[in-house]
Amino acid sequence: MDTKVSVSPKSLIDQIVVPGDVVLDLSNMTNQTIKLGSGLRQDGDAISAVRAGKLSYSKPNTYWVESSHKRYIPRLEDHVLGIVVDYKAENFWVDIKGAQLALLPGLAFEGVTRRNMPKFEVGTLLYARVVKTNTGMNPELSCTDASGKAALFGPLRDGFMFETSTGLSRMLNSQTCPVLEALGKKLCFEIAIGINGRVWVNATAPRSVIIVANAIMNSESLSGTQQRIMVEKLLAKISD
Amino acid sequence: MEGRLANMWRLTVNESKFVETALQSELRVDGRGLYDYRKLTIKFGKEYGSSEVQLGQTHVMGFVTAQLVQPYKDRPNEGSLSIFTEFSPMADPSFEPGRPGESAVELGRIIDRGLRESRAVDTESLCVLAGKMVWSVRIDLHILDNGGNLVDAANIAALAALMTFRRPDCTVGGENSQDVIIHSPEEREPLPLIIHHIPIAFTFGFFNKGNIVVMDPTYVEEAVMCGRMTVTVNANGDICAIQKPGEEGVNQSVILHCLRLASSRAAATTKIIREEVEAYNREKNLQKVKRHPTMAKSEVSGPMVVVKEGHKKSTADQEKAAERSREDVERLNLSSVELKGRKKQEAAASPANFKGGPSSWDPYTEAMDVDSLKASLASKGASPVTKSPIKKKMDGSENTQKDGESSMEDLTEDLGKDGELTLKDAVKPKKKRKTKAVKKV
Amino acid sequence: MEYVNPEGLRLDGRRFNEMRQIVAEIGVVSKADGSAVFEMGNTKVIAAVYGPREIQNKSQKKNDHALVLCEYSMAHFSTGDRRRQKNDRRSTELSLVIRQTMEACISTELMPHSQIDIFLQVLQADGGTRSACINAATLALADAGIPMRDLAVSCSAGYLNSTPLLDLNYLEDSAGGADVTVGILPKLDKVTLLQMDAKLPMETFETVFALASEGCKAIAERIREVLLENTKQLEYRRGSA
Repeated sequence: MDTKVSVSPKSLIDQIVVPGDVVLDLSNMTNQTIKLGSGLRQDGDAISAVRAGKLSYSKPNTYWVESSHKRYIPRLEDHVLGIVVDYKAENFWVDIKGAQLALLPGLAFEGVTRRNMPKFEVGTLLYARVVKTNTGMNPELSCTDASGKAALFGPLRDGFMFETSTGLSRMLNSQTCPVLEALGKKLCFEIAIGINGRVWVNATAPRSVIIVANAIMNSESLSGTQQRIMVEKLLAKISD
Repeated sequence: MEGRLANMWRLTVNESKFVETALQSELRVDGRGLYDYRKLTIKFGKEYGSSEVQLGQTHVMGFVTAQLVQPYKDRPNEGSLSIFTEFSPMADPSFEPGRPGESAVELGRIIDRGLRESRAVDTESLCVLAGKMVWSVRIDLHILDNGGNLVDAANIAALAALMTFRRPDCTVGGENSQDVIIHSPEEREPLPLIIHHIPIAFTFGFFNKGNIVVMDPTYVEEAVMCGRMTVTVNANGDICAIQKPGEEGVNQSVILHCLRLASSRAAATTKIIREEVEAYNREKNLQKVKRHPTMAKSEVSGPMVVVKEGHKKSTADQEKAAERSREDVERLNLSSVELKGRKKQEAAASPANFKGGPSSWDPYTEAMDVDSLKASLASKGASPVTKSPIKKKMDGSENTQKDGESSMEDLTEDLGKDGELTLKDAVKPKKKRKTKAVKKV
Repeated sequence: MEYVNPEGLRLDGRRFNEMRQIVAEIGVVSKADGSAVFEMGNTKVIAAVYGPREIQNKSQKKNDHALVLCEYSMAHFSTGDRRRQKNDRRSTELSLVIRQTMEACISTELMPHSQIDIFLQVLQADGGTRSACINAATLALADAGIPMRDLAVSCSAGYLNSTPLLDLNYLEDSAGGADVTVGILPKLDKVTLLQMDAKLPMETFETVFALASEGCKAIAERIREVLLENTKQLEYRRGSA
């Protein structure tokens, strides 16, 4: 029994798990409620990983597998960058890198009625919020916050969009992101990060956009300090 | 239809607009200048005539194979050269499986025109028996990743594969001297193709109604640009092929400007390809030299494998070795400790085994070119001196794992007794050995 | 082999900068919206244009411009020896090249959600088929009344016996010398199509290229005349002239 306990969650937390790894055994965790995040599946008493990544734990009882992908699985309340692919009747079909195209009703904008619905051409970049992710249905987006205000959502004009991984997007979205901090000290730019692995950057000078975009793309596999060094080097090279 | 939409790669309005505006101030999204080329790496496979080219994110593989066939009726004494392209759907979602699409056909034709119609490969030397048997050389180009500018990458892959290709030697013999005998590589050295010149393709992208020209466009740039031109040139300043398939019109002066740019670049790219091919050939030659001791002393086949591996890593040039050695420093320290411990053990346990050690070590598995081989042959056995200390260390460390006892000191000592024979065997070109044998008789 | 004799005459008696005789006729296919026959010496091409019409394959629909499709084929009887099958790599490439050349001169942005089909059939091949095809297609498009920025015209030139030669015929084409095909928009003075085979030094290429461009301009003149003649006849039939 003791040996079994050694495979308990605590020992595996912050460890790399691969699909099929049993990360939790519920049989010796009676009377406990746990919450499972992405990348974990319950099979009888065993909780096993279905994705490769780092097993993470947050108090009091939430577990998930932290990983980075190129595809995106829509989740409620995620802020994503989508590309308009087509429009039919009152809906826009938007590509959010998911398994299905997402649906954006033409009425899901602040202050829009049937009369003044927006028109976007194919290829427009939108910053939107995921509001429905029912299985068997296309996910639904909205360009308003919960109270119906525009709150920065909507089409993004100009600037440059590039694709990254979901992991990098999350890193950029965190409170202290070394790349953005380091870049922000020297350059002035606007950025929109979609958790689905798309990043949009805008600045007055195309030069700054290119620097920021490349710095972000290069930071994919670097640690915090490495990122800072990389950015410094890049900026030094530019200022020469 | 929805399914079709979901599988496509999409370009946003923002991207296409930005690419254009940035280009107006002579900036490209990946930070390159207008006429900068992406990083080019060429790798070769184990077999003759296979290459792997990486140009930025673009990844192309080339294979060359040859077969004896009946010649075409209108060219009875010329071999043939054909190019086949494979756009695998794994490289790009827009490539569809099945029959090659328009772009695949066009790519093949551009390379075909550059290589075949400019007579870069000597096809007459591929004739074995006029009107009966000629070699048909086939180049297969597989696109593994599409990061833009497939033509240039595929062209370099084709060239690199052709330049490292060896076809089996064959002679005409038999009773009526009409039979073709193919010699195995052990029997006779396989022959390289005769390549007259090296035509290199350069692709230009046109933006802003043909007013802005960029070299080596990336995937995003290809989606935005309004026109494209591929110029195939060689280092002598000849133009071997041009392909500007319609699209936006550009001024004559722009075209001539592109031609000049391309021919000024050709020499540099040719040099890269040549250097890589030479490095590969050198390595192959060394492997050949190594073959003899294996045959002579087949009982030490086990450790042989290890040496081969190690040798492969320590490729030719010294700079490369030096570079790698820095990375290896840590590993080296560890393994040398391990080595000492194991050495003591094994030496005590089995002295017989110890004796066999040096034969698995061959001074010429070390990276050295043929010229220096010859030179060291003249100064008999002085070879270890010519080695750089870094390489010594590396060799030691790599042999450690299975062949722990052969540390450097032992090797140099043993060289005088046991090693000398191996050395001669290993080095002597066939001819020399033969003449000596005759003398003895 | 001697392709240019000491007097400077070619195998068929032309001078180095002389083109073959051009015969062009408009409106030869009754079913098509526009059609033309273009002859250049013994090379004869027939072109038919349908459209702009409803898109047939919905997934190819373009929202901002018209879809141009082109099919090039060579009749089996067009060459001396009957050999080519229909969908070989050369035809695929030529279809692509001709399509993109014609796209450059059609104002596709005026006709979104529609498609234009160009069918080209080589009836007799005697060198310079791709040039003849482009010229025939231009005439047929003009006949169909499709809006165009300029007339796309094309001509080829080669280099044999150290002489640049305009408008190669089959014999000269298969001699293994260089072959440059140029397609230009004469009024805009832009080059849309440029294809070259075999090896040429830079300076030589420039002269051959210039010669081919001159040839294009001459063909453009001729095509203009043909179109003018055709329009006059239409006017005459209507009774306004």
